[in-house]
Amino acid sequence: MISKFQIASKNLLRKKARTVLTLVGIILSSWVLVSLLGFNRGYEKALNRDIDNMGYQVMVMAKGCPYEAATMMLQGGAGLRYIEENVAKSIETRPEVDKVTPILMQAYFDPNKGDGGGIAGYFGVDLATFPAMKPFLRFHKGGWFKEPEAAEAVMGYEAAELEQRDVGDLILVPEKNVQLKVVGILERTGTQDDGTIFVPLKTLQKISGLDKITTIGIKVKKDADITGLENALYQLPDMQVVSFSQVKQTIMKLIATARVMVLSIAVIALLIAMVGVVNTVLMSVLERKHEIGILKTMGAMPGDIFRLVWTETLILCASGGVLGIGLALGFARLSDLLVRRALPYAPGGELVAIDLRLSATTLLTIVVVGLVSGMYPAWKAGRIRPLDSIRSEA
Amino acid sequence: MNPQRGLPSRHLLLLLPLAFVAAPLPAAVSCELNNPAADVPRLFPESTSYKTLYFSFASRGGDPVFKRVVSRLAGVPALYAPLDVPYTLYEIYKGKEKIGYIHGVNQKGQFGVLEVFVSLDLEGRIKAFYLQRVAGSWGNKFTARKFGTQFVGMTLKDFATFDFIAGKGTGRLAAVINPAPEALTDFLGVLRALNKNLILMDEFFYSAEKKP
Repeated sequence: MISKFQIASKNLLRKKARTVLTLVGIILSSWVLVSLLGFNRGYEKALNRDIDNMGYQVMVMAKGCPYEAATMMLQGGAGLRYIEENVAKSIETRPEVDKVTPILMQAYFDPNKGDGGGIAGYFGVDLATFPAMKPFLRFHKGGWFKEPEAAEAVMGYEAAELEQRDVGDLILVPEKNVQLKVVGILERTGTQDDGTIFVPLKTLQKISGLDKITTIGIKVKKDADITGLENALYQLPDMQVVSFSQVKQTIMKLIATARVMVLSIAVIALLIAMVGVVNTVLMSVLERKHEIGILKTMGAMPGDIFRLVWTETLILCASGGVLGIGLALGFARLSDLLVRRALPYAPGGELVAIDLRLSATTLLTIVVVGLVSGMYPAWKAGRIRPLDSIRSEA
Repeated sequence: MNPQRGLPSRHLLLLLPLAFVAAPLPAAVSCELNNPAADVPRLFPESTSYKTLYFSFASRGGDPVFKRVVSRLAGVPALYAPLDVPYTLYEIYKGKEKIGYIHGVNQKGQFGVLEVFVSLDLEGRIKAFYLQRVAGSWGNKFTARKFGTQFVGMTLKDFATFDFIAGKGTGRLAAVINPAPEALTDFLGVLRALNKNLILMDEFFYSAEKKP
């Protein structure tokens, strides 16, 4: 016996061009919808990953330090402000704090770099705390420094590649003419670590002739009150607090408007597609008034007709949704590339993240919205009076 | 509002660390002039314009060519770049006429990379030498005009009689004076870079242009 699905499919195939056009509308709208929902999730995830890769959620630096970062780059460190090392120790005693790591950033002018010279930057990090705060850093070759005061360096992947350094090679700190032995090369991370040269904190302090630091990285305990900690840190004199949760919020706010606009467009596209569905199915119902009348005279109940027409909507929406989601999955990397080009700041990693759950949710949404839209033509078909339809045809 | 938090540009400050995260990292690309608009007229005074071309082993013969170049380098460790890394070439023009090339290569030096450029006429003769990057206190000795002029007029043939591993040989190249005897690694690095530069140019352009 022929099933309801077969009858519905045959009905749709009777007007192929109309069905295909309606299907294209649903495919496009579900493609856009799932890609945008994937972007919504992927962007936040990628941003969180970038921030997690920093290893710490809050950074404290001497006030003016960010302002003078440009000066530092242009003048090789002149004008940088510093923090006493004991500030890090006092912050570590706070109940919200899990770990702290002191950092010294220094830049030296290299007259032999390029035509007018260039800047070489170094990160002085504490061997006892920094690696523990960034356990995700993996070594391409070698490892961390052996001693806290060793004349050694660990290079980010890009820095090593650019300078053609290998483990065991030497690098020279310009201006100071201090030689450092490369003991480790990090694997590529896709973050600023790739271009960084890490030196033991004490070594860099000795090279720079100071016993201070420029930055304190703070890892906050799980479920701790970060806002409370930030407020307390703001009270420290001459300190600038940079919270990565605030950075994240600021970035999310920046793209929120764009996200709302684009999502609205997706919803409108979906609604237009559904209007197309209603139009197609309704047209089909009106064209088949006579047939429906005959079906009713043969004993079909309004419910049977309703279900038959509703099945047509279901087939249209489900097949269009599946194809659209398939296209979104197939072109996810292309969408990723386009979105990345359009955004002022794009974190590393996958920006358009479409998984099975998101695909299923989107498909369900399309089918449900489609079925709701298809209720009117199905109801109208169910209400057709057999005698009227046969009489009008005659 | 907390005055400490009320800095007008606080949001921009907050974004600063991520600006570093977002900053494009130096990619593993070939040797490029830092300021071609100024460097090209300096290295090729008679030039009126230039065209920048990119080529790679992958686009010009692939693995067989790579192996041939490695064998021509005679065991000197010089090629670090994978097959698809692009090399940059500046084609130099006087009016509409092509008059030469500027090409640079990276070479491992004592404390960092050496970026060695030469300007070449259409016969492959060195017209000017330019060391864009060198690390070390002796850097200015290698970037001095006196050192660079020693290579002017040399061709690939002058490099054929030199052993780049032993650092000895005969002919014009062997007569080049090391301006910093304490930096033998960098001196030999410069010579190896020039050899590599001329072999690459011969392989990709001069020999290729002579082929019927």
